[in-house]
Amino acid sequence: MTIGIGGAGSKIAAKLDNQAILINVSETEMSKVDGGSRRILPTMFAAKGQLRGSRKNPQIGLDAYHSVQRELQELIRGNFVFCSTGGGTGNGITSGILNDLASQEDVSLTDKTCFGIILPYAKLESNEFVDNTIAFLTGPLSDAIDSGNTGNIFLINNKKKFVEKISEEHYNQMIVDSLNVFLSIPDKNDRLPLLDGHIDHEDFTSFMSKPYFNYFTYFNYNPSAPFEKQLDANLNDLLLPPDSAIEALFLVEVPKGGDPTIFYDILQYFSTKNVAPIYSVVENPEVNAPFVTVSLLYSRKPAELVDDFNHISEEHVKAKVNKTLNQNVSLVKLNVNMEDEAKRAVKQKGDSDDILATLRRIGKL
Amino acid sequence: MDSGSANILFDAQVKRLGEAHSLILYWCSSAEGRSLKYNLTNCFDDLKSAGITRTKQTAIAAVEALATLCFVDLKDEGNRKNIYITRHGAKALEYLVKNSLFHSKPSSFLEDVSS
Repeated sequence: MTIGIGGAGSKIAAKLDNQAILINVSETEMSKVDGGSRRILPTMFAAKGQLRGSRKNPQIGLDAYHSVQRELQELIRGNFVFCSTGGGTGNGITSGILNDLASQEDVSLTDKTCFGIILPYAKLESNEFVDNTIAFLTGPLSDAIDSGNTGNIFLINNKKKFVEKISEEHYNQMIVDSLNVFLSIPDKNDRLPLLDGHIDHEDFTSFMSKPYFNYFTYFNYNPSAPFEKQLDANLNDLLLPPDSAIEALFLVEVPKGGDPTIFYDILQYFSTKNVAPIYSVVENPEVNAPFVTVSLLYSRKPAELVDDFNHISEEHVKAKVNKTLNQNVSLVKLNVNMEDEAKRAVKQKGDSDDILATLRRIGKL
Repeated sequence: MDSGSANILFDAQVKRLGEAHSLILYWCSSAEGRSLKYNLTNCFDDLKSAGITRTKQTAIAAVEALATLCFVDLKDEGNRKNIYITRHGAKALEYLVKNSLFHSKPSSFLEDVSS
């Protein structure tokens, strides 16, 4: 089951799973998302009644989380949660979930929760989004990963959307289509004739339950070219680029009557990286050329990611200050004590010259 | 003594002044510039806090040397011996300043008064 939190998370979850549970503090925003099944509206009262949004403030989302905390703790077990880190609802409620996960003693393999986290494109999105993201990555997410109680975390990158000017609807569909390629691996193993290896649902669940970042990509595989070059050339730019792989999984689909041994070169590549992947080779009559889906689990990237975000956040602040200075400068009234200032100035100036002036003034020179 | 010899003598006297002497000239001038009385006790306290001497005798000796050279006047006022720079003392201090032979140090007495 899939759970979508906040506007961005709900839209992707609803597209991925028509049984998705959608959570939003804004009833209006939630009503505009098609699909999904159950909808949860956390209670969030202000002095004037239920709020209709979280004002990009994660604290509001976190406060709202407490009204659905017990229910969500049960719902997320073994499921896939989508949220964005920029706004208030997705960030705030998911922070609550991650904090709870971090404080748990142990979470069983089948109860691990996977997260699809949509990161803002810092260059073009608001700096509140960037600041919220930094706080999320360095706080709740980092703590939850350290606890080992999460499953795979997919860092979804909004850069391509902004750079290539893609509509939100279309971009969300691209993300969902991409995720479906990866998530269909165990089904393909069930459905298609196996030629080598095997990834069953249990293997896949086990892989997904590991508390690392998951990067995956897929492409038509040319057995006569080095796998590494093809892997680099076919970057999945919907996800953040990976760091060195800790674990890996791949599925090779060969056309009917295709060579079932082409996977050895891929194994050889992973061997040079000291990674022993889980893999399988299936015969898929629907493909015309060998097709590989590969997933890498990695752990180091968040620190660099936060560095990038910090850097861009600072640029945002500088730009904001410059803009403010150019538009309107209001000077604060300074209450200067002239006597103190004069004394300070005398001290700073150096006393030697002053003493000669003093001697002249008192008639000694 | 002609003026040439007097100048030679004056230069020789000034060159023999030590740090304590020049600071005393400076501090008593500064005090007088601010219409404050600068006495022997203040002088000893300042020399002590500047790390130049730990004994009152040394402070008194430095002041008396300046008085002997006619660079300061010592006046008994009430129960205090106040120090006043003379015109010769002013010339001596000017010489030290202009020839970069003098580096001022703060007087705790003058700082206390100003704060």
